[in-house]
Amino acid sequence: MPEQPYEPEGAIAGTGMGGAMDLGASEAVSLEKTPGGPDGTGPADKPRSLWSDAWRDLRRNPVFIISVLVILFLVFISLWPGAITSGSPLKCDLAKAQQGSGPGAPFGYNGQGCNVYTRTVYGARTSVTVGVLATLGVAVLGSVLGGLAGFFSGSWDSLLSRITDIFFAIPVVLGGLVLLSVVTSNTVWPVIGFMVLLGWPQISRIARGSVITAQQNDYVQAARALGASNSRLLLRHIAPNAVAPVIVVATIALGTYIALEATLSYLGVGLKPPSVSWGIDISAASPYVRNAPHALLWPSGALAVTVLAFIMLGDAVRDALDPKLR
Amino acid sequence: MPEPILEVDGLVKHYPLTQGVLFKKQIGAVKAVDGVDFALGRGETLGIVGESGCGKSTVAKMLVHLERPTAGVIRYKGEDVTKLSGRALKAVRRNIQMVFQDPYTSLNPRMTVGDIIGEPYEIHPEVAPKGDRRRRVQELLDVVGLNPEYINRYPHQFSGGQRQRIGIARGLALRPEVIVADEPVSALDVSVQAQVINLLAGLQKEFDLSYVFIAHDLSIVRHISDRVGVMYLGRIVEIGTDEQIYDHPTHPYTQALLSAVPVPDPEAREHRERIILAGDVPSPTNIPSGCRFRTRCFKARERCAQEVPLLAVPEAFRGAAGPAVHPSACHFAEEKQVVPPETDPGGDRFLPPADGPGRSA
Amino acid sequence: MLLEVRDLHVEFRTRDGIAKAVNGVTYAVDEGETLAVLGESGSGKSVTAQAVMGILDMPPGRITGGEILFKGRDLLTLKKDERRAVRGAEMAMIFQDALSSLNPVLSVGDQLGEMFVVHRGMSRKDARAKAVELMDRVRIPAARERVKQYPHQFSGGMRQRIMIAMALALEPALIIADEPTTALDVTVQAQVMDLLAELQREYRMGLILITHDLGVVADVADRIAVMYAGRIVESAPVHDIYKAPAHPYTRGLLDSIPRLDQKGQELYAIKGLPPNLMRIPPGCPFHPRCPMAQDVCRTDVPPLYEVSGTRGSACHFWRECLHA
Repeated sequence: MPEQPYEPEGAIAGTGMGGAMDLGASEAVSLEKTPGGPDGTGPADKPRSLWSDAWRDLRRNPVFIISVLVILFLVFISLWPGAITSGSPLKCDLAKAQQGSGPGAPFGYNGQGCNVYTRTVYGARTSVTVGVLATLGVAVLGSVLGGLAGFFSGSWDSLLSRITDIFFAIPVVLGGLVLLSVVTSNTVWPVIGFMVLLGWPQISRIARGSVITAQQNDYVQAARALGASNSRLLLRHIAPNAVAPVIVVATIALGTYIALEATLSYLGVGLKPPSVSWGIDISAASPYVRNAPHALLWPSGALAVTVLAFIMLGDAVRDALDPKLR
Repeated sequence: MPEPILEVDGLVKHYPLTQGVLFKKQIGAVKAVDGVDFALGRGETLGIVGESGCGKSTVAKMLVHLERPTAGVIRYKGEDVTKLSGRALKAVRRNIQMVFQDPYTSLNPRMTVGDIIGEPYEIHPEVAPKGDRRRRVQELLDVVGLNPEYINRYPHQFSGGQRQRIGIARGLALRPEVIVADEPVSALDVSVQAQVINLLAGLQKEFDLSYVFIAHDLSIVRHISDRVGVMYLGRIVEIGTDEQIYDHPTHPYTQALLSAVPVPDPEAREHRERIILAGDVPSPTNIPSGCRFRTRCFKARERCAQEVPLLAVPEAFRGAAGPAVHPSACHFAEEKQVVPPETDPGGDRFLPPADGPGRSA
Repeated sequence: MLLEVRDLHVEFRTRDGIAKAVNGVTYAVDEGETLAVLGESGSGKSVTAQAVMGILDMPPGRITGGEILFKGRDLLTLKKDERRAVRGAEMAMIFQDALSSLNPVLSVGDQLGEMFVVHRGMSRKDARAKAVELMDRVRIPAARERVKQYPHQFSGGMRQRIMIAMALALEPALIIADEPTTALDVTVQAQVMDLLAELQREYRMGLILITHDLGVVADVADRIAVMYAGRIVESAPVHDIYKAPAHPYTRGLLDSIPRLDQKGQELYAIKGLPPNLMRIPPGCPFHPRCPMAQDVCRTDVPPLYEVSGTRGSACHFWRECLHA
């Protein structure tokens, strides 16, 4: 649009005597210095950073509120699963196998006679741990490598780009089957490590692109002309303006890592029993789906809701941070 | 001209064009700046005009060390500063600052106005002690005509003209001696342009600044400059005082450029001659032989294709006197008046009613 | 009258409130006439044009009142497909940025030809021939060879010529040009402007020229309408307005441009900034910046006073301004 009469830039323009025209004209200067003109005292005149604007948008967005409530609940039950369950997820009674809901087991029992409710609640811990740690690892590694490559460009950049291409060529599930099948440890660490190994190129590409874009802004040139060091340019000028797309993609990726953990566990290369994971439960319940659909329904439902919550959060954050709306 | 503070000698910037993925091979070069000489006197404003792609912005970037010249020398107070690095470079940077064209991208949107204008002091802590910085920033806001209480606001809360004032305040923070302004008003509205130009002119007097003022708008350049250089395809083709260039141009390109400027006076169109240039500016990767302007020149002859005209007082004028005698890179330089002489001399500037002789007369 | 805009009002809903972009604009263009609409950013000049063309983004935009009469029909009451039939065939628009207005993956010949294929049902071969003819018309050298090239292979001036060719393709009765030469260099600007003026005479089209540049307008316009804060503040034949403006805003604009033929001491600058469209000052919207403002200006919105049979000024003190 050639003309944007409704852009918020005009905020202070409402103070009437916006610019003093002439340094000599004391009248003009004194008018200019009057804080808040006749119609310039509204809330629009408080300092408003782009982050606070984004936060203001987020708070009003129902998608954001719903997804955050779901996520907070998930975090809560992964920290204190005992708060809403009694008993252990590993305590199973074959006699109760495939039974429907009963006292203390609102979701019924699975094929091994384990309490589906308890296992679903405890499964959240695995999912959230894997999701959060994998995302953190990916985000840190990816943005540092990608950001530096974008900033320094040249041969390091070419080298990194080729490496990311190689990683992109690895099929995720096949790679997981091959790499994780040789691992014997039954903890979340190999799974997280695998995800970081395959996930960082995605973030690295985005960080590189967004650093290159931010770097072309005149304010980076202005700081450079002042004699700013590279670390100041990166940390103070480029990183804060390049981080938004990384945050958005990482949030959405968090959901997909949770799904990937379940997939790998389902295939038997992620976590293995006696670990508790939604993937394991889905895998275990699928042969009995006709007799005990509830044993499949609850863990897969929990998985779907969790993944959806993170994707919705990512979308809401994207909308709030989108510079085009500003 | 007063004693020069900045001298530029044979400045060249070529961007190599490469081919191949792994083994890069140079296949040519974009000759953005191809041999520019000028000197800037202390307290003077040198205007550089030219159309897009003539290399004027690249010259600006080299002056403030955002680009390294491929060849040539930039002397600040007699010392070559092109090869400096580290501490010495930082010291020179303090004295040569830049004002950018686009007030929307030249301020970091995540920083407050106070942080933006105060950043020069963080980079050069020796200029102002920590406790003094906030006061200095507020003083600067005041100097550029903004409310010092706006110090905690963010750039997006300001209009374009106000943002440009913030950019100017940042440029002034280190008390530089030279300011390179690259199209500082071209992104602003007409009514705000005049405010910013007046501000720049006022600051020049107040702080004894020397300006290199780069713009495509010839009227604005005339207004603010003491001397003017006209650039075409990486070179200065004519340089002189504003009177020499505007009232007595001798280079055909300058003449065409001046004749094409729309004048806000419908009466003027009857007694104005337009020189319409043929074709487009050639690509800077493939500069014509001889005179680089010859492909569009209405005077081009045989000789223009073979011999490169130098930027000097043309042969025809040697020994003569008068405003037409100034450096012009043309073999067939000839004075030609394209701007009609002043029709309505100053004095009818708009003042509150009852003042001024009136325009309707 | 070819086109008459009557008391048009347009608003935009934004996160911070309602921005009143156009507040009662009235103007008219006849066949073969050039109306220049002059204004700064935020004056509503482009929004009015977009409303006329029917390309206003709605939402956030909303037309809250007024009529747009084109050949006697009110465009605002037409159905969507009727409106579409008018657009392109009977009125066309030229934008500032030719590069982003042209499709980069289609050759210019295909884009020009498409107009004839879609609106006139021509065969591709005939359409191609028409495209070459149009490119000749706008004086693109070697049109026959260049018709197969893509937009990025043309220079800025040539691309703007292609835009003009595209607007002319169906010989519309009205062309709206929104800052058609702002992105171009001065030497090219003059060529493109001359071409536009010449073609307009040849086809006897109505032309609305939207610009912020008083210089460009002086050379080609018949009438000028000056806009400020979504209103027309002055409307007059081109010669009158430059000789003696009847509104202090116009006068301020004329005085604030540096002149090529003189080296001024200090430029006259209109004080202050254009108003925030969410909080337009009461009374005359220009009063906070006006050197002539009196008490009445702070309370009463000035109507468009008739200065003479052909010109109007929305200033309570137009007489004083005219004779100042």
